[in-house]
Amino acid sequence: MTHPVEMLDITKRFGKKIALESVSLTLPARSLVGLVGRNGSGKTTLLRHVVGLYLPTSGECRTLGTASHYLGPTELERIGFSQQRDNFLDWMRARQLIRYVSAFYPRWDRDLEEYFVGLLDIDLEARMGTASPGNVQKVSFVLATCHHPELLLLDEPLSDLDPIARHDVLTILLDRFERDDVTMVISSHLLYDIERIVESIVCLEKGRIVADATLDELKENFAEWMVTSREGLLPYRYDPAYVITSEGDRFQARMVVRDPESHLAQFRSAYSAQVESHPLRLEAIFPLLVGNGGKTAAWSGRPGSRVEVEA
Amino acid sequence: MVIRVDPNSGIPVYRQIVDQIRFQVGSGLLAPGTELPSTRALSRKLGVNPMTVSKSYAVLEDEGVLDRRPGLTLIVAALSPSKREHTAMQQLRATLEPAATIASQLGVPARQAGSLFREMVEKSDRDLKKETA
Repeated sequence: MTHPVEMLDITKRFGKKIALESVSLTLPARSLVGLVGRNGSGKTTLLRHVVGLYLPTSGECRTLGTASHYLGPTELERIGFSQQRDNFLDWMRARQLIRYVSAFYPRWDRDLEEYFVGLLDIDLEARMGTASPGNVQKVSFVLATCHHPELLLLDEPLSDLDPIARHDVLTILLDRFERDDVTMVISSHLLYDIERIVESIVCLEKGRIVADATLDELKENFAEWMVTSREGLLPYRYDPAYVITSEGDRFQARMVVRDPESHLAQFRSAYSAQVESHPLRLEAIFPLLVGNGGKTAAWSGRPGSRVEVEA
Repeated sequence: MVIRVDPNSGIPVYRQIVDQIRFQVGSGLLAPGTELPSTRALSRKLGVNPMTVSKSYAVLEDEGVLDRRPGLTLIVAALSPSKREHTAMQQLRATLEPAATIASQLGVPARQAGSLFREMVEKSDRDLKKETA
């Protein structure tokens, strides 16, 4: 069976700059994936390869079973793509643009379109050149989704939306995911928002994939420990194989660890310490994935502190 | 059935669902034979991915808390008394673990901590009887 997206050892260079390096990625049908990474880590470049807007310098990219540089109208009408900075015709009103684009898609669903326009409160009379960024993003979302694509790629679909619109868009996406047989990729810095709906996370750092796992696996793979030793037996250094960051003294320490389940018992007995283990949310896991190759993260925020990621 | 999940708590959502359903079955809030909402209905209500709900259901089915009836609807299984007690003690243990750590850190002797817990359970039993009387 072919998968909607198959990337095999893709490297992309722009001049001397390496934008993607040895990226291999398979997205099975009916998956809902969050694509995360810092600014300039290659998220947009990756999505553009999937739809054939970029050709890999080396490697192979197959989309819906077709080499992505040969995608024709029959494949493209099964794909929805909303770009972070879509280039629309500035003079067009939102209403005109939607009609214009919808004409290219035989499967365009006018009822769905009207439902989205109403729910997201889209100003149809606004001209694209002067519309608010939020309105432009909503229109772009409608243009990408109303033809019931089998593969839906959304590049930062939430960044310009207010919290209520973000919630609405996420609810729509879940609803589409459930009703259409669709594979979705959502790139976003808004980890708090996408954490609610995605099944798995693909994380890019400097053009390489540093994590490709289900959200549950990621959450179970890291924990924050509050460690106490009444006898003051804690060491000054911990095993870097699983302790990522730590602070504290002989009596108390706070540390972020990987694979907590398999180290807990041994840690307790080694230092006769009491350990309180706390799960980490995606926002706290993210810096661990992208920090210095994932081994020594520079970040050492407190539990509950937000990691500021530029939009 | 009412369930509350926090997708941002760090605890995988499927585990939050499993824990709550297991508790509701154990406490008798969900009686044996009760039909569970479909994966789709529950995921929609909670605003989470349907895969998450089906994963929770699969775990509970595996544990024997839920039964799949022909026709694919899920119902609350009838647990044997020993199995029921076993899951109850498991849940209680998980809840008490942090309390036990705190007690020993505060230097509260085990005997005293034990009698405090006994007192609290007895009070809670009395309150429950008052409510049902």
